[in-house]
Amino acid sequence: MTNAFMVSGLTKTYKDFVLDHVSFTVPSGSIVGLIGENGAGKSTTINAALGLIQKEDGVVSILDREELDGNVKEQIGVVFDGSNYPEILSPRKLNRVMKNIYKTWDEQVYLRLLKQFSLPADKQIKQFSKGMKMKLAISVAFSHHSRLLILDEATSGLDPVVRDDILDMLLDFVQDEEHSILVSSHITSDLEKIADYIVFIHEGKVVFEKPKDELTERYGIIKCGAAQFDALDKSDIISYRKMDYEWQILVSDRERMQKKYPKALVVPATIDEIMLLYVKGEK
Amino acid sequence: MKGVLVKDLYIARSNILVTIVSLVVLGFGLSFLLETSAILVLAPVAATTAAFISITSDAASKWNKNVITMPVSRNQIIGEKFLFYILLAILGMLTALVPCAVLACFGMDITLHSLLLYGSIGMSACLLAGGISLPCAYLFDPEKSQIVFMMSFMASTGIITGLVLLINLVFPVKENILLAFHIVLIISVIWFFVSYRIAVKVYRKRDIT
Repeated sequence: MTNAFMVSGLTKTYKDFVLDHVSFTVPSGSIVGLIGENGAGKSTTINAALGLIQKEDGVVSILDREELDGNVKEQIGVVFDGSNYPEILSPRKLNRVMKNIYKTWDEQVYLRLLKQFSLPADKQIKQFSKGMKMKLAISVAFSHHSRLLILDEATSGLDPVVRDDILDMLLDFVQDEEHSILVSSHITSDLEKIADYIVFIHEGKVVFEKPKDELTERYGIIKCGAAQFDALDKSDIISYRKMDYEWQILVSDRERMQKKYPKALVVPATIDEIMLLYVKGEK
Repeated sequence: MKGVLVKDLYIARSNILVTIVSLVVLGFGLSFLLETSAILVLAPVAATTAAFISITSDAASKWNKNVITMPVSRNQIIGEKFLFYILLAILGMLTALVPCAVLACFGMDITLHSLLLYGSIGMSACLLAGGISLPCAYLFDPEKSQIVFMMSFMASTGIITGLVLLINLVFPVKENILLAFHIVLIISVIWFFVSYRIAVKVYRKRDIT
């Protein structure tokens, strides 16, 4: 399987933050969710990969090319949090602008998407709601036959209905195995719905890169008291957290743990819980 | 680059129209007070304010972050802004020539000498100011670059005065005024081009977030 997107050893140092040798891939035909709390390094990773910020070290390969030239950019659709289009423009004027930027711009697709999203073509973008602006940005990303979509917190701040519409579109997009998506979000429930792989970044480092199904089907949380916690084999523990009335212990194979500790309550873990236990738990 | 230029023309369209009308009205109005061709000093400078409206709009919408992900290089982004500035200056100059031409048809005394002189002064001021303020728009935040934009026009008049005084050391400016201001214009064109190269260099290394 080829990779649509690959970063290896990506490094960037700021005064108060270091993106520390981040490496992960987006296999062709898949959706990869980049998760992590605010300030974990998700946007820095995307910005460095897209050449918005200068990386200090590391290799970035997008659609099998290490140089991010016009031909590669022609095949990438990027959506940031916020529309990032001049608010004085209307979608129709934006169409004329994009027609002169992308060689592969497909006006028919764009106008169809505007209609599908009920976006008024002649209204200024400044009069749009946040959801409408996001739909417009996604319409643009879909209208130049992109092979790779990169969405940076694109669904943040949207209502569940709009988010669901957008997630459906993303799922449709990857039906073609040539298409791939990298989506960064701290709304892990969205990624649980659509992602094939999850990359978790914490304090500028990749904590894990795993298939989503492995996380949701195999990972689990043991909920127990202090005595049971003390009896656990510490090598089984990924991380743990002491709550008011119980201990929560993250384990990587809940079925094996259930067999090993038959008296313990082992429940499936959501991605949100896994992330929380990694960030707030002790090791 | 064409797409980015189209975007800037959309953003600045209303401002450009206001500038065109104002220059034409001012041109006719000036004819009662002083030489109509003197409007050529003001015209390019007034017309280029639209370039800064587009820069402010880009900053407000974080367009630059978005456009870098499109098939447009950093060099093209800077090149377009300098080209847009020049186009606006030329448009301002052509607009100011309209009242001059109309009044000349009605017998007003408008000489080629005065057109060339005021045109050179206006264009020099415009290019010197742009050469200072355009790179700064990519170095500083929007508030600071607006201050630089206003200061740059004052600075350009100072630079022109300084250059004329320097030229006066070589030959008497009063007797060769047109030649002196053409030399100033050539220096301004070179300065504008050098400024473009500097802006490209600065922007190539700049983090856009």
